[in-house]
Amino acid sequence: MKDILSLFFAYARSGLKSRFQYKVDAVVVIFAVFFREAGGIIAMYLALQKFGSINGWSIDELLFLFSLIFITYGIFIVFFMALRDFSDWIKHGDFDRVLLRPRGVLTQLVLCGADWLAAFGHGTLGLVLLIISANRVGVEWNVQTVLYYLMCVIGGVLIQGAVFLTFSSITFYVLETNSLKEIFYWNMRKFAIYPLSIYNKFIQAILIFVVPFAFVNYFPAQFFLQKPDMAAYPAWFMFITPIVGIVLYLAAYAFWRFSLRFYKSTGN
Amino acid sequence: METMISVEDLSKTFKIQRRSTGFAGAVKNIFHPTYEYKKAVDGISFSIKEGEMVGFIGPNGAGKSTTVKMLSGILHPDGGSINVAGYIPHKQRKEYVANIGVVFGQKSQISWDLSPLDSYEVIKHIYRIPEKLYKDNLERYTELLDMKDFIDRPVRQLSLGQRMRADIAAALLHSPKIVFFDEPTIGIDVVGKDKIRKFIKTLNETDNITMIFTTHDMQDIEQTCQRLIIIDDGKKLYDGSLENVKTDCVSTRIIEAEVENMPSGLDIENTQITHDESTGKLTVMFDTDKISTSDVMTALMSTHSIKDISIKEPGIDSVIRDIYEGRIKVG
Repeated sequence: MKDILSLFFAYARSGLKSRFQYKVDAVVVIFAVFFREAGGIIAMYLALQKFGSINGWSIDELLFLFSLIFITYGIFIVFFMALRDFSDWIKHGDFDRVLLRPRGVLTQLVLCGADWLAAFGHGTLGLVLLIISANRVGVEWNVQTVLYYLMCVIGGVLIQGAVFLTFSSITFYVLETNSLKEIFYWNMRKFAIYPLSIYNKFIQAILIFVVPFAFVNYFPAQFFLQKPDMAAYPAWFMFITPIVGIVLYLAAYAFWRFSLRFYKSTGN
Repeated sequence: METMISVEDLSKTFKIQRRSTGFAGAVKNIFHPTYEYKKAVDGISFSIKEGEMVGFIGPNGAGKSTTVKMLSGILHPDGGSINVAGYIPHKQRKEYVANIGVVFGQKSQISWDLSPLDSYEVIKHIYRIPEKLYKDNLERYTELLDMKDFIDRPVRQLSLGQRMRADIAAALLHSPKIVFFDEPTIGIDVVGKDKIRKFIKTLNETDNITMIFTTHDMQDIEQTCQRLIIIDDGKKLYDGSLENVKTDCVSTRIIEAEVENMPSGLDIENTQITHDESTGKLTVMFDTDKISTSDVMTALMSTHSIKDISIKEPGIDSVIRDIYEGRIKVG
């Protein structure tokens, strides 16, 4: 464990050092990410002033729903950025180097690829939203709820990690997976901005069973907010985000192990 | 000496999608893809002893890089067996790669925006190199590769030759027993190439490191390796000493002569004669196994008055080309 941590910090030091070779750019990136994402929220915030609520969710409750997306994504890109951009690693031959080093393949990919600046932008925005909204919607913080919130964050990170680990495994067979990512991650993420209950049954089924974004933010948020639209789903869905994360990640990992042997390397 | 690398009947086939062109073709590519199979490596066997330095040469697409990638555990072979230092590379990857260093001329392992020294720090952690060994190696390679001036400068400011030297040091910090160099001199100027070749040779002699060196540049091989393996079309064409290729296999000589009177109907048995009308140059190619050089000279001089004459031995480059193109059989 100490060994893994020291490797993680070695990667982090060199990663940050190379980003801060261009100091202005580095600072701009943090703000750019923050304001780009915040801009989307402000636009929605203004639109919602007209409606007041969506399916019984007030603006503050929606912000609480958002905050989970940003916080989990901020942590996600610390650990899973290499998997997010994995087809580039294959195409540029960087994956060969990973195979030439005496460490676990996934260990290296998870520890090395952090985009710290973007992570900082997303994470800060998530925290700001959480602080603003949690107070107003009356979340009661005690040892149990804080603990469960943290577990849900970890679960949410693992769910997204599992999705990208699966895409990365598919890369070994088809080389390019950008359109898959577009359809099954980025679009699903857009859906997850609103409460699950506003969608038709088909989209709901996808968000619960295929790309389970509902467990990243909707169901954990229900644990804290207890909105009436939860009645449409089994109540225990509120409690299983950490388990969903771990199970999905293990399944994706098994698929990854199986697929690794199909790696073909690139010509030169 | 012990056998370090043994390869038996190794083969690797790639499945390549044959792409049809045009719109109809694009549709066909999606719904009914056709594949062709290319044998990149086709039944290659060889064995390399500890401390040996072997040059791999062959034209583009001959299967050199695929072979090196299988030897280094990146690719799984389809058939045959590999054993390197007691390991089966693709099956025991993690344990195995701690023993090898790989230098890709076309793909650097040090970060563009960092100094070589910063990248080495990360490599130290990845390979778990003990502090003392790391310091000793770093000092030694900085000296041998003459890197003092640029080791703490960002890589983006270095010349290609400097970057390559920094990359070679990066592959050696963990004291590997075996090092693969995949086209390490590509694109580098003459002085830079020379530095790299000298270093590689020194390292092989003093540290007894087993090395495989792939290249297109015959000079690389001539100046570093005693043994040569020629690969083409996935097959091994030649495996033996460099000297053998030059002397035993090659008995072709070329005589170039400038003659005063135009030769007419000149024909010497066992030779090929070409004549350039505009310059009056006569070229005679022959095989010393079939006709001696003096016989050819005598025949020439008996019919022509010669202004100037030279005898040429084909360079190693053209010998290799002859081997690729099947004009010379070796083995």
